[in-house]
Formats: sequence, C-alpha cells, structure tokens
Amino acid sequence: MAEVILRQLSKHFGSVEAVEDVTLRIPDGEFLVLLGPSGCGKSTILRLIAGLEDATAGEILIDDELINFKDPTKRNVAMVFQNYALYPHMTVYKNVAFPLETARMPKEEIAEAVQRAAEMLEIEALLKRLPEQLSGGQRQRVALARAIVRQPLVFLMDEPLSNLDAQLRLQTRLELMGLHERLGITTIYVTHDQVEAMTMGQRIAVMKDGRIQQMGDPTEVYDVPANTFVATFLGAPPMNLIGGALHRDNGTTAFRCEGYELAVEPAVHGISPESLDGAIGDAQLGVRPEHLTLASPDAEGLPGVVRFLEPVGSDLFVSVDVAGHAVQVRMPPDTQVSTGASVRLEFDPARSHLFDADSQNLRG
Amino acid sequence: MTAVEAPVQEAVADDWAAPSLSDAEYRWRARRYRFRTVRRAAGFLSPYLLIWSVFLAIPAVWGVFLSFNQGGLIKGDERVFVGFDNWTRAVGDSELRTAVKNTSIYVVIAIAVVFTLAIFLASLLNHYKKGSNFFKVALYFPLLAPPILGALMWFFMVNFDFGILNLLKRSVFGGDGVAFLGDNPHALLTIVAVEVWRGLGFWVLFYLAGLQSVPEELQAAARIDGAGKWRRFRRITVPTLRPLLLFALVIAVIFNFQLFDSVKVLTDGGPRLGTATVVWFIHKRLFAFQDTGLAYAASIGLLIVVLILTGLSFWALGKRRQREA
Amino acid sequence: MTTDVPETDVTVTAAPEESSDAVAMAERLAEAGRARRASDRTRKIIAYVILTLFVVIAIGPAFYLISPAFRDSVSLFTYPPEWIPSEPTLENYRFLFSSTSYVRWAVNTLIFAGSTTLLTLATNTMAGYAFARLRFPGRNVLFFVILATLMVPVAAVLAPTYLTVNTIGDWPIIGNWIDIDTYLGLILPSAVSPLGVFMMRQFIETLPDGLYEAARLDGASEWRIFTKIVLPLIKPALVVLGIFVFMLTWASYLWPLVAATDNEFRVLTVGIASLKGQFVTDWGILAAASLLTIVPVTIVFLFFQKWFVQASMAGALKQ
Repeated sequence: MAEVILRQLSKHFGSVEAVEDVTLRIPDGEFLVLLGPSGCGKSTILRLIAGLEDATAGEILIDDELINFKDPTKRNVAMVFQNYALYPHMTVYKNVAFPLETARMPKEEIAEAVQRAAEMLEIEALLKRLPEQLSGGQRQRVALARAIVRQPLVFLMDEPLSNLDAQLRLQTRLELMGLHERLGITTIYVTHDQVEAMTMGQRIAVMKDGRIQQMGDPTEVYDVPANTFVATFLGAPPMNLIGGALHRDNGTTAFRCEGYELAVEPAVHGISPESLDGAIGDAQLGVRPEHLTLASPDAEGLPGVVRFLEPVGSDLFVSVDVAGHAVQVRMPPDTQVSTGASVRLEFDPARSHLFDADSQNLRG
Repeated sequence: MTAVEAPVQEAVADDWAAPSLSDAEYRWRARRYRFRTVRRAAGFLSPYLLIWSVFLAIPAVWGVFLSFNQGGLIKGDERVFVGFDNWTRAVGDSELRTAVKNTSIYVVIAIAVVFTLAIFLASLLNHYKKGSNFFKVALYFPLLAPPILGALMWFFMVNFDFGILNLLKRSVFGGDGVAFLGDNPHALLTIVAVEVWRGLGFWVLFYLAGLQSVPEELQAAARIDGAGKWRRFRRITVPTLRPLLLFALVIAVIFNFQLFDSVKVLTDGGPRLGTATVVWFIHKRLFAFQDTGLAYAASIGLLIVVLILTGLSFWALGKRRQREA
Repeated sequence: MTTDVPETDVTVTAAPEESSDAVAMAERLAEAGRARRASDRTRKIIAYVILTLFVVIAIGPAFYLISPAFRDSVSLFTYPPEWIPSEPTLENYRFLFSSTSYVRWAVNTLIFAGSTTLLTLATNTMAGYAFARLRFPGRNVLFFVILATLMVPVAAVLAPTYLTVNTIGDWPIIGNWIDIDTYLGLILPSAVSPLGVFMMRQFIETLPDGLYEAARLDGASEWRIFTKIVLPLIKPALVVLGIFVFMLTWASYLWPLVAATDNEFRVLTVGIASLKGQFVTDWGILAAASLLTIVPVTIVFLFFQKWFVQASMAGALKQ
C-alpha cells in the first residue's frame, strides 16, 4: 500500500508526445481511473509507473521513493494486462505461484498464498488447468490472482475488462471494486469506457493527447467539465454544444446563437465577473441531454425541429435540429412527440455551461 | 479551472509537486539506468560473440591479411610478407584457372539440371497429390547421408567392373564399360550427377512449398477461364516462383561453388585436373602442395564472391517479402 | 483423376455458344470428354512412373551397397554378376570392428556433432533472445555484421581458422583443450554459424510482449524469463534447429579433415573416406562401413521425418 506521485512526467516516442507534463498525486488506497480515448497516453502512464517504459522527463515516486531508476522487477507493482498475459505453458497454480517462486518464498508458504488468492477469486477448481483451457472471464481471474498474490504496493490495470462480454464486464466490475475495498491497495485503472470510470473511480483523471484535462471525483468531473473535451467525452449521449458568441450590451452579457439569446448572470452561471469579462467573443453553450426538456414552440428556449426519436425503454432520446446542430434531449419514455414538430428546448441556466474560445469552461 | 489540479478534498503541501533531482543528476542517473540493458545484452550475447569472433570474424579478417603472405601454416615454416605477389600469381596460375573453370561448368550444369528436374517433379507432386508424402520422403533420402557417403555409394554404382551403370551399358549396348571417373569430361559429369542426385530432394521440397503458396482460387479461376495447363503454368506458376527462383539461384550458386567433398573422395581433382575445383585447390595448396600463398589469395577471392552473393540473396529475399506484403 | 473433373464440366458448359446444333455438339463433346479422360489416365500413369523412377534413383544407391557389404570383395568381379552372394559373410563387419577404428570414429562423431549442437543451441538461443528482446545501442549494426557472415564458406576461412586453433594450442593451459587434434578444436569452429541466432531471433520475436512484461513485473530477472518463460515456449524451434545443426555437423568433412588428423579424434566422414584407398580399395569393407553408417540415420529419419524436412527447409527459407 502506498502513495504514488507523478511529477511533470513526460514520455516522448520520437516526435510523438505520448505523455506530456503530467503531475498528480494518488493517496494511499485510492482507486484512480485514467480515462481517455485510445492513444491519449493513459496506458503509457501505467507502463511508466511499472517501468516498462523509461520516462523522458519527470519523476515517479512510490511512498516518497524515487523509482524512475529502479528496475521494474524491484518496483513491487503488479499489473493486469488487457489480454491477461498468462504464461501459456504453466498451469493456473504455476502462473499464480510464479511471482512468489521468483521471490524464493518457501514452498509451503507459496501453496498457502496461492490458495488464499484462489479462494478470494474463486478459482480453486481451476488450479491444475492450463490457460488455454479457461474462458475469458476465468483467465481474467487468474491474472488478478497472480497480481494480488504477492501483495504489491500498487495495482496497475490496463483495460482489464475490455476483452469480456457485456454481462461479465458488469459482474467483474463489481468484483474488482469489492476486491479493492477488501485489500485497500492503491489502484490505477486505465480505461476508455466512461461508464467504468464513473462507477469504479474514486477519482477520475481525464486525458487527451498526453495531458490530463481534468481530475476530480466522478460527479465533479461530470457536473463541471473543465473543457468541451471532458464535457463530450463523459456522458452518453454526450453534452450538447451549441456554437455562438458572448456579447456585452449596456453592461449586460448575453450568449447569442442563431435564433436564440441567453442572458448570462455571473451568479446564476457560477462564473466570476472577471472571467466573463475576458471571454467576450466566440463561445459555446453546453447543456446535458437530461437537463433539456421539450416545450411548445411559443415557450422560451432553443428553437428547433424534431428529427429522430430513439426509445431505449427507460428513456426516450429525441434528436432535435437546432440551427444545424443535432441536439440530444433525454425525455421520459412516455413523452408524446413526433418527428417534424417544431419545439423549444428549455433548460435551467444554472445547469448549463459556457465554454470560451479556447474551449475552457467559464464556470469554476 | 486549470487543466491539472491537485485533489481538492485534502490540503496538501504544495512542495510534493516539485522535482527533487537537478537536471544534471537526473540525466546522469537516467544514463546509468539505461546502461543496465547493455550489461544484460552483453551477458546474453557474449558466449556466441566470443566463439563467433575468435573462430569466424577474426579469422576472416586475418585471412585478408594472410593473402599478402606466403607460408606459415605449419610449424617451422616462416611466414613471409609478399605484397600483391599472391594476387598477381593467382590470376595467372593455370591450376587455379582450371579449378575456377571446372567449378563454373559444374555450377551451371548442376543447377540447370537440378532446378529443371526439381520444378518438374514439384509440379507433378503438386498435381498428383495421392502418395505425394511417400515420394517426398523418398526423394529427401539422399540428403540424410553425408556428402561423403553419397559419393561413396556412387563409387559403387559407377565402378568399371561391377557398377550397375556399366553392367547395364554392357548388356544393352555391348562393348566395354565406361570409365566414369577415369576420363574427361566423364568425371566432372559424374560429379554433377552425384550432386544432382543429392540435392534434388531438397529443391523438390523447396519448389513444392513455393507452388503450394499459389492460392488454389487463382488456379481454379484460371481453369474456369479455360486456360490450358501450359498457359496456367506460364501465367500463374512461373510468376509465383520467379522471386523465389532468384533467391534459390543465388543460394544454390553459393552452396555449389564450394564443391569439395565428393571431388575429394571420388577423384581427388583428377584425372589430369579434370575435376579440380576451387575449394579442392585451396585445400590441396594449404595441406599438400605448400604453395600456401596462392591458397590464401584464392580463399579471399572465394570469400568476396560469397559475400557479394549473400548480399544478392538478401536483396532477392527482400524483394520477395515486398511482393508478399 | 478427381481434380480434373471440373475441367471437363467447364468445357461442356462453355460449348453451346459455339454451335447451333446443340445435340450434335453435345455428342461430340461427350466423345471429347471420353478421349480426354483416357488421356488424363495415361498422363497420370506416366507421372507416377516418372516419380517412381526418381524414387528408385534416390534410394537405389543405398541398396546397391547391401550385396557388397556381405560378401568377399573378390566375388564382386565375377561376370555375369552374382546379385545375391552365394556365400554371405559377416567377415567385412568383423574386420571393420577389429582392424579399423570404426567404433572410435562413431563415438567421436557423436561427441563432435552432439557437443556442437548443444553449444550452438545454447549460444544461438541466448544471442537470439538478446537481439529479439533487449534494447541496446548498436543492436542493429551488430546484428547485420553477424548476419553478413551467414554464408561464409568453411574453405574461405580454412587457413586462418586453422592458424587460430593452432596458435591457441600454443598457449599455456587453454592450449591443452583447444588445439588441432582436440575435441574443442574440432567443435568450436563448427559452432560459429549465425543461422540459429537469426532463426531464434525471429521465433522469439513472435512471442507476445505481454509475457515478458508480466514476468518482469512478477520480479523475474532476465535469465529467469529466458529459462522459465522463453525456452519452454520455443521448444519446437529448438528441435528444428537442433536437428538441422546435428545433420549438418556430423556430415561435415573439410574442417574435420584438417582439424582431426589423429585417429584418436577422427570422425566417421573422414574415417570412412580413408577406407577408400588411394589406389586399392577393399570394396567389401567400404560398403559395410557405409551401410552401417546410413542405417541408423535412416531409422531415426523415418520416425521423425516431419521434423527433418522442416529442419532442412529452415536452412533456406526461414531467412
């Protein structure tokens, strides 16, 4: 169990900046999720911590010890790989015992430790099998058992659920959380799946192009996205963004787009007057689908025409054309609406976001 | 809100984010850390590198130096530096010329014959699949025996008195037997036959592998288009084999240019140098005749030729890879 | 035969365009089809006759040794020839074992080829691992230089190699082990080919990266990864390379001819070749020795033919 600190960490592959100036601190026992699209550098961070790649610059500390220049064999971190990386020629028992045999633990202690890990992951019945005789879910468990058996300081998980089918993924997700609760080992979990991130992470670090875009607990990141990337990456369907501009007339500020104007009150929008002053010009309005409601054409709100209806059982997703933008609205499933209808989209200004010309959220 | 932020929920001293190492120290430690892979690589490479350099690389370089010297192979025989003398004499030496000529004739005939037969037999085996495994194994058989033993088997076959070839000749055509190894050019042609016999199985398997890489659909498509056998062979089989052919040709030349074993055991270069080859020449000059200087030069000549051909084979292989990709 | 059926069908379907009189055409086609089938059968027979002929040529010479091996050499020269010896004898074998060093040569061959194979497997697999898995400066240059020596002929470096071994033989202590007419002097220069390094590198590169990384994080040293993870997974490649090297080594002639002149270290190829005298040959003994040498290899081959064929192809194609 340990605290992990990354200081101005960078990794370049030739001219590609896979990780750029990442600084973060993961307290002891935390479950941190690195979230981002593929190629954003999240896996590279894991590999840097594990020592599978050497950092170009910056420091990695585990429990205040600089480990940049420590061989991966001595870092005492465990990693669960996307494809599990089980040793194909060894039985499950041998696979789980391998790290302990490597550490020259006495045979009886190894047997005990393997037994304990196997019980925890319910794989006792599989110990004599070879990896090729296991299902995907079973392999996953063996990989986890191999990772926990030697009680590492840090757990690194590289998209461990991506090779499982949907149902198994849900189940394993819950088990992983239970495991983390029980063992309390600092865990860094990499995924591109926002649902995994939201449900599992105590904190989430959203990454793009090698940089951390935002870091915080799931609700914080969801409710106050730092920029349009985070706003659209989290949430399904993503936050709606409508392009326009911020204008100032006679001391009052307003967001204007085609056919619509929204008065901006710093207090209501949670924006400081100073940052509002600096953002006059191009801007984007962001509203989540669940914060929009359909209203009659003579009401206040964004004017648009209903294009598509997607009933998903629990909800009805309505796609509305607002001045050429496809805007998603989440409505109760029994909503009466037909395509082609002219509507207004109402929303609470306090739950909307304004992004400046650099795509940064003005709130905060 | 800035892009990167410390967690809000805990108050932490700011200095956790400050680097602890100076740039210079970081770089020095990074370099030392990276060097560990060099140490490991050295550990894994050294056994092979030691043997390779002492018994192959250094001798190869030493050989170049030797080619400007005379003697020194046997204890008590002083090595003398003679400059380009070996090289100038090598060009004019009639025995070496004969050896190069014989080797070239041998290489051309042997490869032409063995490739023709191999492609022919491979096509047959590719077409008539029933029992092809038996034929493959049987044709491969001559490769099991060392070249020396293969040659000795033929020593019996071509014997003047009881060799089956002469027995057949005498019973069919009458008259006296043929001195297969005692006359020119019979001797060299006999050597060709022995080596073709030995190498055929390998090349059949080689071309069969190449033929089997022709997609079945392509063959079937051509058949439906009504292309005749010969046309199919020319339009589909030959283009598929062509890149393979160049590579095969180069390595066949490399191997056959080193003809020695069967010559040494069957004719020892005779009669009257009729089967003298380059490697036979080198061996003889080094260990019998003792004009070692000429052999030193001939060795390096052989080395240069082979290195050039090796480069060519890599090039051919690269081209094949490209085509496949 | 079955493979040719579609051709006939195709001709039938393609034909009606060419003739207005469909019935007459169909008859003619049926006729042609029969003729074609007949000619296909002839062709097939000819093909198998040719293949059989080549098989006879391939294995015949070995059988031609049997009769001389079990008879008195003088009886070989009777005319008309006596194919089956009237007085079969094991005299040739008795002589081979009592008056020549055949057993010694055979033992030497096993020592020579066996050690060379083991040494090659060990060094080449380790080097292949380094080239495949370890990153170090100059890796590609070094690999290329080694690869360039892939085809260097024994003859081209015969003199300097001989001199090297001879020179080392003059050094104290190590000279007792490595010299002309020592086992190591015979073995070490036979274990230099980089073919195995290349093969092993290719093979090790195909193993998934995740295995090394997992093992590394499990705390395994490079050597432990090599022995516990890599070696078990490349067994098939080791077998193929092993057979290839063994076959190549025990059949080699030129280096043993100059490096092991003393009868104590002589190997089979050199020994048997020496049985063929410069002017007079005892045919019976030569046949007996050759036959005795080929039979065991043939038996082993028949059991493991798949591996053998793969091994021989490895030499040419795996590049």
